[in-house]
This record gives sequence, structure tokens and C-alpha cells, in this order.
Amino acid sequence: MSRLAGVGVVAVVALLVGFILADQVRSQLLTPSNQVARYQALVRSVQDLEASNAGSRRQIADLRAQIDALESDAAARSATTQALQSQVSDLRAHAGLVAMHGPGVEVLLRNGVPGPDSGGGSGYLVNFQDVQDVVNLLFAQGAEAVAVNGRRITPLSSFSGSEGQIVIDQGPPVTSPVKLDAIGDRNRMVAALDDPSALPGVRARQVQFQLHLTFEGLPDVSLPAYDSSLQIPNVAAS
Amino acid sequence: MRGLSVWLIALLVAFVATVQIRSQAEVERSLVGVDATSLAFLIDDLHSANDTLASEKADLTRLRASLQSGQTGAADQALTDEAQRLRAIEGLVPVQGPGVVMQIDARGLTALDLEDALNNFMAAHAEAIDVNDHRVVTGVAVEQTSEGVTIGGAVVAAPWTLSVIGDSARLAQVAELMSQQLRADRRVRTATYRTVTDVVISSVISEKPFVYAIPS
Repeated sequence: MSRLAGVGVVAVVALLVGFILADQVRSQLLTPSNQVARYQALVRSVQDLEASNAGSRRQIADLRAQIDALESDAAARSATTQALQSQVSDLRAHAGLVAMHGPGVEVLLRNGVPGPDSGGGSGYLVNFQDVQDVVNLLFAQGAEAVAVNGRRITPLSSFSGSEGQIVIDQGPPVTSPVKLDAIGDRNRMVAALDDPSALPGVRARQVQFQLHLTFEGLPDVSLPAYDSSLQIPNVAAS
Repeated sequence: MRGLSVWLIALLVAFVATVQIRSQAEVERSLVGVDATSLAFLIDDLHSANDTLASEKADLTRLRASLQSGQTGAADQALTDEAQRLRAIEGLVPVQGPGVVMQIDARGLTALDLEDALNNFMAAHAEAIDVNDHRVVTGVAVEQTSEGVTIGGAVVAAPWTLSVIGDSARLAQVAELMSQQLRADRRVRTATYRTVTDVVISSVISEKPFVYAIPS
């Protein structure tokens, strides 16, 4: 009888241990799978928003082309309209709203490798400040037009982002490799890019993380037109 | 019997371990590159960008409808309005509007500090900026020289007064954050800002003709 009771106690204890173990295993497994689901939902949202962003930019480019054609039709019928259109064409070109080509440089920035003493930092990633610094350097050397991964820089352009994500204006984020194209005096721009004292942040990380910076002068660089918003609702002419 | 129990337990442990390791690997594989917080910020940015693009599309659609109507003078009006707007964007004409005025008195701030400050305002949709009576747009060179920081080749000595036109609330948020950061910088004596209902920017940029760039 006492042996039977002993078996019963062991069975109950085993059952309890089993439940505790099962619960522990279940909770261990649930956390990662929930993380995956949440992460995948976020990724899907980003993908949907990026698709919508690309669609809107295509529509804006189409609308601008249609408006340009309608204005050209009107200009063909009126000298006043023709003079106005000529002025606007020049202003549009300077604002980045017209595709351009000409001699220039192509600059390539690519992520380095995480160093053993990077402490989980993101210094090996190309960041928005790197892109901003290269764009500023190119403009300082007389660049007449600049594009980053096919996104045209305008007088109102800004750079933001985190880690290796680079956000330019209303476009989707750009990541490494980042290609910058600029039209202008290619010898002057190449000389400035070659100057060891230029781009100190990038050069330091070239040594520390093998961040990749290359550039070459080209006889003909093509840049697309800007395809996003250039609204200034708060500005009035004085 | 005892041997069979040991095998069963070993099998169970191996199964649980495999499931656990696979789940972990799946998480790590999908998390490569961007963390969830950065993704959330990215979603916020994209929502905001898409709203701005939608507004631009609506404006352009209205403009196209006006031109298609064939109304007398519609093209002239559209071109005149666009010319005025583009001149303001390119910094070719004086402008005014709501915004903020920020003053930074410091010793030893560099061109990179000024570029960052300007970019912060640009990222907050600044529509026009002036620093010590020098108009700034993206493309105007801000450089470090032996004489100090220059804007478009002209030396801009401290204290710096940044006059910025745009959405005042949004610009004020950025100015507040920058002020806090600057005050923690030992080089900075004072960093203040005020919201202004009508910032007037009289400085202009001279238009430079293209030498190398040709419309495609």
C-alpha cells in the first residue's frame, strides 16, 4: 500500500515538473516568434509605404512633364508666354527640376567592417552626415548639380537618418553603397576629394573600419530631375 | 525499460532545443541591419513624406486642370507663380514669413557645426534661411578657412544669428533641441531662440549661370 502511495507521489511530482517545464519552454518559444511577427509587420509597413512613395514620385514626374507640355503649347501661341516659359525653364534647371548632364565626378561610399573594438557601434556604416559632407564638399568646389543614388539635390534638400539609413527629402531611405554624381569642374572636384584634410570623419573611419570611399572624374555624368515636393507654404515675397 | 526512458528524454530535449534555436535564428536573420525602433521612426518619416508628396500631387493636378481648361492667361499666371516660388526657393529674392530666429554666441565653432545646424533646420522643412545677412540654401558653400567660417566665400564671424522661415512650431522644436545641445558645449557662451510671426530675410544669392551642366 505504502509503495503504491510512493508511486502516486512521484507521478504527481513528475506531472508538476512536466507542466512547469512545458510552460517555461512555451514562454521561451513565444517571445522570439512574437518578435518575428512584430518585426515582419513593421517591415511590411515600410515596404508598403516605400511602394506608395515611389508611385507618388512617378506621378509627380508625369504631372510635371504634362504641365511642361501644356505650357509649351501655350508658349507657341504667345510671345509673352514664351518669354515667361524661358525664365521658368532656367529657374527649374537651377532648382533641380530638370534632368542634366555634363562632365563631373562619381563618388562611391560603401560600408566598412565592424572593428573588434567598435563596441557594437555603427562607425563602420555610411551615415547621413558622410553623405552631407561629401555633397557640401562637391558644392563648395563648384558642383552645378548633384544627385545621391539617383535622387537630385535641390536648394531645400536635407539629410537625416539613423545608423546606416540615409533619408534625403521625401524619398525612401538610401543605404550603402551610396553613389554621388556631380556635374562641374571634375579636376577641381577630384583634387578636393583627394585632399587628405578633406572629409575628416570619413577618412578616420577609412582607417578604423575600412569604410570605402572612391571617386573618379568622368566626361559625362547624367543626373535625373527632382521628383518630389518643393512646396514653401510659409514663404511670401517681401 | 530504463534505456528507453533515457532515449525518450534525450529525443525530447533535442526537439525542444532545435525548435528554440530555429526560432532564435529566424529572429536574428530578419533583424539584420535595422532594429525595430529605427523601423518605427522610418515608418513615421515615410508617412510624413507621403503626405507631402500627396499634397504636391494635388497642387500639380489642379495646375494641370487649369492649363487644360484653355482659360485665357492660365499659362501666364501659372508660369508667373512658379517663377516667383522658384526664385524664393533658390534664394534669389527677399522673403518673409513665420519662423524662428536663433542666436549662437560661441568661440571656436566650425563650418561643420554651422552645416549641421543648417541641415537640422532644413530637415524640419525650413523654407528660407539667413545667417548674419547671408542667404543660405543647400548648395551654398559653407567652408572652414584660416579666417574662420565662410558662407559663399564671405567670412561669418560669431555671434551667429540664424533667421529661419517655415512652420514655426516644427522649427521651434528643432531650435529647442539644438539650444540644449549647444549649451552643453564648452565652446558656446549663449544659444537662444525665439519664435517670430514675421521673419524678414532681405539677403539674396546671385544666380550663377551653368558652365558645365546641360539640360538632357
